[in-house]
Amino acid sequence: MILNMFYIHQTTCISPQQTFPDADISVLHQPTGHQLKAIEPTYTGIPPGILRRMSKSVRMGIGAALPLINQLPAPDGIIIGTANAGFEDCFHFLKQIVEYNEGLLAPGSFVQSTPNAVAAQLAMLSHNHGYNITHVQLGLAFENAMMDAGMLIKEHPGNTYLLGAVDDISVYNNALNLLAGWFKNELSAVENLYELNSPGSIAGEGAAMFLVNGNPAKAIAQVQAIGAVHSGDVGVMERQLKFFLDKHLPEGEKIDLLISGENGDNRLLKYYTACEKMMPGEAMVIRFKHLCGEYPTASAIALWLACYILQKNPIPPHLIKKSFPVKAFKNILIYNNYKQVQHSFILIFGMD
Amino acid sequence: MSRIFITGMGLISAIGNSVADNRIALSEGKCGITTLKLFPSKYANLLPCGEIKTSTETLRQQLNAAEPGITRGTLLALHAFDQAIRDGQLTTAQLTSFDTALVGGSTVGGMCLTDELYGDAQKTVNGSEYINSYDCASMTMYLQHRYKMNGIINTINTACSSSANAIMYGARLIKSGLARRAIVGGADSLAKFTINGFNALHILAPAICTPFDEDRKGLNLGEGAAFLILEKEEDIVNKKTYAVLTGYCNSNDAFHPSSLSPAGDGPYLAMKGALETARLAPGDIGFINAHGTGTENNDLVESRAMLRLFKTVPPFASTKSNVGHTLGAAGAIEAIYSICNLYHQEVYPGLNCGKAIAETGLMPVDLYKKISLQHVMSNSFGFGGNCTSLIFSKS
Repeated sequence: MILNMFYIHQTTCISPQQTFPDADISVLHQPTGHQLKAIEPTYTGIPPGILRRMSKSVRMGIGAALPLINQLPAPDGIIIGTANAGFEDCFHFLKQIVEYNEGLLAPGSFVQSTPNAVAAQLAMLSHNHGYNITHVQLGLAFENAMMDAGMLIKEHPGNTYLLGAVDDISVYNNALNLLAGWFKNELSAVENLYELNSPGSIAGEGAAMFLVNGNPAKAIAQVQAIGAVHSGDVGVMERQLKFFLDKHLPEGEKIDLLISGENGDNRLLKYYTACEKMMPGEAMVIRFKHLCGEYPTASAIALWLACYILQKNPIPPHLIKKSFPVKAFKNILIYNNYKQVQHSFILIFGMD
Repeated sequence: MSRIFITGMGLISAIGNSVADNRIALSEGKCGITTLKLFPSKYANLLPCGEIKTSTETLRQQLNAAEPGITRGTLLALHAFDQAIRDGQLTTAQLTSFDTALVGGSTVGGMCLTDELYGDAQKTVNGSEYINSYDCASMTMYLQHRYKMNGIINTINTACSSSANAIMYGARLIKSGLARRAIVGGADSLAKFTINGFNALHILAPAICTPFDEDRKGLNLGEGAAFLILEKEEDIVNKKTYAVLTGYCNSNDAFHPSSLSPAGDGPYLAMKGALETARLAPGDIGFINAHGTGTENNDLVESRAMLRLFKTVPPFASTKSNVGHTLGAAGAIEAIYSICNLYHQEVYPGLNCGKAIAETGLMPVDLYKKISLQHVMSNSFGFGGNCTSLIFSKS
């Protein structure tokens, strides 16, 4: 593991809550049916002709990233994690193939259908010739992107990178996830998400972007370490979490804040409960899936939230699962689980 | 910094189901691009493709992969992965170790099942067995699960440079200490999705492709998979090594979603950066496995970029005239071909180029030759301007 992976200097977020350009998460925005849909801003800075052709994931990703990427000096590369970017166009094209029986098709949605569309269009719009990559490991896509950023900063100590994640609800991925039983059919109010004791979560979407480098001066947060587990076995997850904390949490310190990816799916609760029980000492526990819903790169929203809290913004009561008086958040852990078999631990240090 | 060696390889393509078979076919100038025999498409007799002539069912049986929901793309990946770990003699303990990484590249992933995916997306009950298999990462997740792997598992999608980036990423994981060894590669199977997509862009050749020919008419799609084992020098004891991965660079062309900039900025920067990583001069490169898709845009721009970087362009050719463009698998397949060049000190003929592009005058190698090689470059450029070059050196 790399220690001192990177420092976060700026962050933006487009989500189903009021987070862009300014954030106010005191009042909750409610779902439509079983979906929490992002509040999309007026996208300034994307040429209208290009904007019109963008699918929602590409729009949100680019809309969130542009304020960060257009700064000087320009970032030295673009690292995106996504599972679904381009899916909407992908199905649009698929539909044409089937409905027109492989007839004469317009290529527009095919070109826009690849998940690398977000990183690629960002490079195009900002004339960025640097490192450019798209990690697509489903529920660990953003974690892999963070790992990549950590390595790049170690390889090129002076460089700054744009790191981010985006996924959207498209008609089709929503249909597939509903069919596979990953979403509840209906949710009256997001506050009830954790109380229903039933399988499935609520569909969500969002984009979170970060400017990261190796310079601690004036940083918001430090991402210290990232761990991943590939197993549905709670015991395996517990052993690896213990190993992770033993290795990365400084001797004698505790986790002050646990940001839990609990998502209202009663099949996943055992993992989150196990994680909470394993916190060394008393930790405050907050949840965030009622803000953004469940989607493969939702952990990026958790990282944005960690930054939001470290910038001394108040923590609204609806986030809090377990309260504990904390003077300053020194050590924050994000634990997320995607569809039982993909777990991640992200350890964040507040700046002194 | 310790050097990174290739210690195992596995490969399946339209010209053979193993590295050895592929090498023989390349040496003999064989082409695996034909009308489609197995894959059902309206274009089966119209657009030739590099189809692997082993049916999905046969692959499933050969690989003992009876679980429901496994796609052809995943089976191809499994085939190449199995060969690579056998060739590299990885033990079960090494495979399941926390410091063994798996990095794959794919573009269509489970979406190769175009019709099934469309069907499932219309349903509200009774999803097909593939309901959880359409994702791009389903291939690496299957391999992880089958072999109970515990290290870093990742999938990269940078379109046609996906598995070249997977190789680069694996090397970086080892250098940074995040992994001790990495199994890297990629897979893509033919799909109605890509056949129709490239056809709609009017870049599929109606006959067998002619990379770097003045009158080239476009590319042929192909399918395949390749995996390589990367290990650190100090970990290699009594084991054969094929080559050293010395150079790599990822750079974006930042020009257009589906075509390269006229001057080839992305390709130029990727090749130049790979030389810098390897600490080599342009004159050190003995051969280039070009991206060479056979499209008007790629071959001209790639030629210009080579002329920009190299005082004298080294011998080069495109193996896409043998196997077609295997998209997410292409970077890894061509990496293995480049390693075969080095290991056996030979170059394989690029096929079907009768007349050099007038502007550049560059002709690909057209005969099998024994040749002394120290360093070979492999280029992969993808939609979205995602350009990556790799350099392999003699071990």
